[in-house]
Amino acid sequence: MSPAVRRVLRLNPIACDAHGVCADLLPEMVTLDPWGYPVIAPGPVPAELAEHARRAVASCPTLALRLDRQARG
Amino acid sequence: MTAVRSSGTPDQLPPGQLPRLVAPGAPLGLQAHRGRYGPLPSWPAGPAQLIASVERAGLTGRGGAAFPTARKMRAVAGTAARTGRGRRRGGAVLIANGAESEPASGKDAMLLRQSPHLVLDGIALAAGAVGAADAYVCVDGTDPGLAGRLLAAVAEREQAGLPGPAIRVVVVPAGYVTSEESALVNFLNGGPALPLYVPPRPFERGVGGQATLVSNVETLAHIALIARYGPGWFAAVGTPAAPGSALVTVGGAVGRPGVYEIGLGLPASDLIELAGGPSAPLQAILAGGYLGGWVPLPAAAAVPVSPPGLRSAGASFGAGVLIALPAACCGLAETARVLRYLAGQSARQCGPCTFGLPAIADALAHLAWRGRDGGAADWLRSLLPLVDKRGACHLPDGAVALVGSALRVFAADLERHLRQGPCPDASRPAVLPVPGPPGARR
Amino acid sequence: MSGAGAAGPGPGSLGAAALPQLSGHAAIVVTSSTPLWYITRATGLVALVLLTIGMALGLLTAVRFEDRRWPRFITIGLHRNMSLLALAFTAVHVLTTITDSFVPIDLQDAFIPFISPYRPFWLGLGAIASDLLIALTVTSLLRARLGHRSWRLVHWTAYLCWPVAVLHGLGTGTDTRTGWVLLVTLLCVAAIACLTGWRLADGWPAHPRVRLAGAIALVAVLVAGGAWLVSGPLQPGWSQHSGLPALTRVTRAAS
Repeated sequence: MSPAVRRVLRLNPIACDAHGVCADLLPEMVTLDPWGYPVIAPGPVPAELAEHARRAVASCPTLALRLDRQARG
Repeated sequence: MTAVRSSGTPDQLPPGQLPRLVAPGAPLGLQAHRGRYGPLPSWPAGPAQLIASVERAGLTGRGGAAFPTARKMRAVAGTAARTGRGRRRGGAVLIANGAESEPASGKDAMLLRQSPHLVLDGIALAAGAVGAADAYVCVDGTDPGLAGRLLAAVAEREQAGLPGPAIRVVVVPAGYVTSEESALVNFLNGGPALPLYVPPRPFERGVGGQATLVSNVETLAHIALIARYGPGWFAAVGTPAAPGSALVTVGGAVGRPGVYEIGLGLPASDLIELAGGPSAPLQAILAGGYLGGWVPLPAAAAVPVSPPGLRSAGASFGAGVLIALPAACCGLAETARVLRYLAGQSARQCGPCTFGLPAIADALAHLAWRGRDGGAADWLRSLLPLVDKRGACHLPDGAVALVGSALRVFAADLERHLRQGPCPDASRPAVLPVPGPPGARR
Repeated sequence: MSGAGAAGPGPGSLGAAALPQLSGHAAIVVTSSTPLWYITRATGLVALVLLTIGMALGLLTAVRFEDRRWPRFITIGLHRNMSLLALAFTAVHVLTTITDSFVPIDLQDAFIPFISPYRPFWLGLGAIASDLLIALTVTSLLRARLGHRSWRLVHWTAYLCWPVAVLHGLGTGTDTRTGWVLLVTLLCVAAIACLTGWRLADGWPAHPRVRLAGAIALVAVLVAGGAWLVSGPLQPGWSQHSGLPALTRVTRAAS
């Protein structure tokens, strides 16, 4: 991932099954609501968290968490 | 720019006259339809011209989202042109959405009953403009004869040699979320009538993987009129920010509840007068259906009934549903009943909606019928941001908006409930129509 | 390795006299390559244990086990790594078996089941298990590209891979009647049986009939497996029925 590209975390709420692994691996950006589903902080992923974000995306048991290119505007 | 028509007479309908979409009296068969509106126009200059005309007219979707129609058509046409190259048939699909799942709305049913050929004209024109060889008219099952009548109308047009896509009439299952765009695409692709995660949106990839234009039947009817009489005629009623006319369903404590066609921007008080005036002293209007918002009276009287007008009043236009709430009813109780219904209508695909909506409904019910519990009010307020915009469709967002507006508009009632317990009005019979037992889904 | 009636040629006991007839199999008299044979058996057992741990962690993932000191990502990460280790040990196990000229097993027997001249059925089960393990690993490594649905479909075969591996070990294994080996195997079975029961009790609330069927199948498999084990591999002479090479039988027949 080139450092110049800004990525955002996006969640597919239908695929999400509240496993909560993302909140474990990326607590800086993901917290859990009272029912165990992730609340993702808006905005791009800071560079220092990029690796953690990638690991969180890879570890999601249902592949609900994605790292997308930031849309313009 | 007017369309080329063989009869040669422009403007067969006076521009300022309403209703336009329907004729008063009996439903129009093909002959009567042609007599009133003229023949189906052709577009020798090409489909892009029709889309340009729709754009100049400023038509926005009449299904609830109020998205600029021309933009959607252009997106579908563009995707179809890119992906449909080499296909023998068109690369796009058209869905005419007549599955009116908003319980308080009756406009699509009325339009399909009174002016089916205007809708079918719109389907033919829009399908031609985006390159769709297949079209689906989606209706729900409330009117058992509707599908048959539509098929008869399609057959009538085929016999008359009218051009158009291959039209199929599809009855979709009942359910509030069924008429959502991606739910219809899901259903037509063989899945359940439940929303899908977007992207990809239907205009990119929909039925059978093809670019799909999903349009409300009223929007298509407007396209048929714009094609005949031009964007200038269309915008002769309405306001610059919200041009054209729209069908609205007026309900609640009015003298003549029913469907009316208005110029957008009509003050709410005028609309209520049109619907027979209040049948009892009113306290508020619910605008935008069950995913809309409350507007208090007397402030609501001056609010223009249009998407921008109602949005600035804290509500929405939605599918054109306005319900007048009498002062003798409890707004919190009515809202609580609606929330109970909406919670039961959740597709149960996304956690925040599956768990959050019932929790919101419970908390609101507690406030409406038990009262004296400040904790419940705080709990309810804390739930709203946890549910808002965290689902795949707009059901949770709309429900949150409705509850938010209820807490604002009925704040005085809320105070009273918390201090003294539920008001006696809370036990009155419901004004807002809520179908079926809750949790009837699945 | 010792134990009553254990196979395994002792040093210097290789005599060629009084070879009993082997029905249907050529009597293979070659020099044993003892180290490779031991490595095969050892890596096989270790692979089974690792596979069991990997499977157990997968079941714990499914039931969402979590503790203050054991967060979810550890279960998931360990499941991945243990399964990869199991694959590695399986690879060594297969390699040493093929390389070992003591038994006539070739490369294709390791992947295509039931074509080996040596214990075709029980070895074939091993081929099936290792094929499944490879499929499970490859699809998991490519999960992001495959998409969740396809990945999940293949991952269900884990419920087949593990018991087939266990049966392979019990049926082919030279050491089934060795006390501690049997104990380890039974502990593995017990662990997975319990965790599968937990998984059934915990999951699919919308499909009670499927869960009941799964529970019945679990009990049936355990009972049938136990009965087979007691009447088959644990009985003396199992090796005879399974076509064990002549050498090992000489050791026993000689007593």
